[in-house]
Amino acid sequence: MIRSRRIALVLLLPGLVLLVAGVVIPALTMLLSPPRVSTGEVFDRLGRMLSDPYDLAIIWRTLRIGLTVTGLCLVLGFPTAYLLARSRSRWAGVLLALAIFPLLLSNVVRTYGWLVVLGRNGVVGQTIEGLGLADPAPQLLYTELAVVLGLTQLFLPLAIITCYSAVAQVDANLDEAARGLGAGRMRTLWSVTIPLSMPGIAMAATLVFAGAVTAYTTPYLLGGSRQTMLATQLFRYSGVSLDWAAASATALIMTVLVLVVYSLSTAITRAKAVSR
Amino acid sequence: MTTAAEFVAVSRHFGDFTAVDGLDLTIREGELTTLLGPSGCGKTTSLRMLAGYLAPSEGQIWIGGEDVTRTPPEKRGLGMVFQSYALFPHMSVADNVGYGLKLRKVPRAERARRVAEALELVGLGHLADRRPKALSGGQQQRVALARAIVIRPRLLLLDEPLSNLDARLRVQMREEIRRIQAEAGLTVVLVTHDQEEALEMSDRMVVMNGGRVMQEGPPDELFPAPANRFVAEFLGYENFLELPGRGLVTVRPELLELRGEHLEAAGHGTAPATAVPATVTSIAYRGVELRVALDAVDATGATVPLIASVRRDAIDSRDLPALLPGGRVTVGADPGHLVRLSA
Amino acid sequence: MKRSSPIAVTLAFLGYVVMIVPILFVVATAFTDGDALTFPPEGLSLRWFEAAISYEPFTRALVSSLQLALISTVLALGIGIPATLAIMRGRLPGKSVVEGLFLSPLILPELVVGLALFQQFMIHLEMDNFRTLLIGHTAILLPYTVRVTGASLALADPALEDAARGLGASAWRSFWTVTLPVLRPGIISAALLSFVTSFNNVPISLLLQSRDFRTLPVTMLDYVQQNYTPIVAAMSTLLLAGTVVLAFAAERILGFARIFGGINR
Repeated sequence: MIRSRRIALVLLLPGLVLLVAGVVIPALTMLLSPPRVSTGEVFDRLGRMLSDPYDLAIIWRTLRIGLTVTGLCLVLGFPTAYLLARSRSRWAGVLLALAIFPLLLSNVVRTYGWLVVLGRNGVVGQTIEGLGLADPAPQLLYTELAVVLGLTQLFLPLAIITCYSAVAQVDANLDEAARGLGAGRMRTLWSVTIPLSMPGIAMAATLVFAGAVTAYTTPYLLGGSRQTMLATQLFRYSGVSLDWAAASATALIMTVLVLVVYSLSTAITRAKAVSR
Repeated sequence: MTTAAEFVAVSRHFGDFTAVDGLDLTIREGELTTLLGPSGCGKTTSLRMLAGYLAPSEGQIWIGGEDVTRTPPEKRGLGMVFQSYALFPHMSVADNVGYGLKLRKVPRAERARRVAEALELVGLGHLADRRPKALSGGQQQRVALARAIVIRPRLLLLDEPLSNLDARLRVQMREEIRRIQAEAGLTVVLVTHDQEEALEMSDRMVVMNGGRVMQEGPPDELFPAPANRFVAEFLGYENFLELPGRGLVTVRPELLELRGEHLEAAGHGTAPATAVPATVTSIAYRGVELRVALDAVDATGATVPLIASVRRDAIDSRDLPALLPGGRVTVGADPGHLVRLSA
Repeated sequence: MKRSSPIAVTLAFLGYVVMIVPILFVVATAFTDGDALTFPPEGLSLRWFEAAISYEPFTRALVSSLQLALISTVLALGIGIPATLAIMRGRLPGKSVVEGLFLSPLILPELVVGLALFQQFMIHLEMDNFRTLLIGHTAILLPYTVRVTGASLALADPALEDAARGLGASAWRSFWTVTLPVLRPGIISAALLSFVTSFNNVPISLLLQSRDFRTLPVTMLDYVQQNYTPIVAAMSTLLLAGTVVLAFAAERILGFARIFGGINR
């Protein structure tokens, strides 16, 4: 126990300074009062974005891709996590490590793989042409599908380990108790395992969604200019055209979107915890 | 007696480890059978195979005249109480108890009635709307019991049900479980490592070790006549020695007699064949009893530790010095009190 | 009886295919003898590996990335560990606000943080990009340090320190001889995670580049957009090899799953 409040503050100070001066203040300034642009202009630009069909299409695409990726990551990730958490095989550890490993690998490297798979002379295209299904093979790269696949690859490990810790902390005896009382495998899953791992599943969904709607590398490489998302648009305004008002407005949309999702998820988890 | 369940030559291996080794066992209808043994003896593995959570590596399991070896747990219609109770934390007490009935599509009204009945039976009618976490350990255990019996199981399986309770509650729950068994007319299989619990609760007890049955029988037959040293030790016998012409025997400490040069303990004549020289190593008072620890030399020439329990008022105070550590005595017992062991 | 449902196994298998197979194709194409990114590769050679390690922008960026990752990891630990101790063991007013602040870089979109630093520090204050990068990277690493060391501090019994004090150790001494050793697995985990996170970061580094100092992922990203040669496949394979080595080292030191399984706990 650190008994003196002064010592605690001293220990905290460098971090506080870094985060307040290095993140909070610059971020707020950037969002609300960028150089040579008034706050009014930022919100004006924001208002126009939210009524412009081109910008709305980008926002809608971002949301759509985010939701699809979240759904896919849960549908593929939860069963994987469940099998790994409940398996007693010695291979489960290896498979878990294999699912975690991609998190250490650069997003650029992971996404680059899809260029090989989906690219002009890529594996899938060659196979389609080789089987005579279509010649030339349809465009796969720079489609929404490509972005969805890339982001699913990127965030699936996160979904798996989050669901894994959630399932692992549900006492396996509870599954057995339900089975013993007459519930089949699916029934046990729906009435016991899933409700009890809900906080973890909600957390996984939040992390994946927030990650997918703010990711830059994957939409940039796999979506190109045809599948512009909020993040790639933000880079265009801030790194290419230096349109600060538009950049701030886009950043505001992204930030608010993410904050809303995080607060919703926390609120739901907390409400659940209270009712328990 | 009809057979409720049967293990036929059942074995279970985990890799190189054999947890249960050729188990043949009959569970009789309406009885409370305990599987007793130290941890790793195969008792829990056997129970989990009976419940269907583990498949036997070899052999068959029969319940009610039906081969259930390949039947999943949800199709066996058994009630199980887990050591951890395994109450669903996201359901109320009533919902926990009603879960099995809901799965059996029992109509709502009847379900409510039977849940209330079961909770009444375990004395928890007033806590139906609580969450399991809000209950004490003993109450949680009663909920688990109610949840298991409300489905009118063919067998009630209890896996160390009392081990997480404090000593006083444990003794109370023993009677409680017996009462519920009698009232509901249940066939019960109980796994425990506590010999006192087994002796007190069982109609039949099965002592297991190394995946095999060491001895089985009603407590009043089994306790006075343990078949071998393992069973005897597990039931709390302490004195083991080889006697000429009798082989390995054991005697309860209170039935050992001590005689010495200056000591005239409980005076009835001891047959020479059962008299063994010994040296006192320590002594402890326990209420009106003296517990005397001795090193004796048995027929094989080996030094064996013995414990004798002597009533303080049976010894003349003058003779007490002979019972101090280092005192040399002769230990004997009435041949009728010797229990012969196979090994 | 414990046979897994075929649906679950199929979904899990699909998941692994999506996670792993593209990476395998990167490795396969890196060994091509041809000039384009095709599959199956045309012939077998190591020429693109040679090209990758002798391509000056890559090697320079690699050195820059390692430098940045190392320094920001040290800074994040140096700032984060004391902060964790203060948050977990100190009696602070508004503790949850402080905790929220330290985790905020995890929630704020990194691209937004990058833009804020670019605009406010590099353009507005004319700070050089290396220092700006250090601020950004250290800030986004802080949440990992606070979470991971915080988790191992939460496991440690506060009575341990009291016991040490009771035995006559000074506060300082009980920290060095009791608290810190208890925290060591957490600190190693945090260091590894921080290093990897900084090394691989794109969104923060993207806007904060300069001609003299660019990180490797950003350099590779630019290169991919301009050229379609397998040189990036070769560089990616080298990075993969490096990551595998790191993962095995992590496994040897602490157990892989223990370090990286706790990322979001």
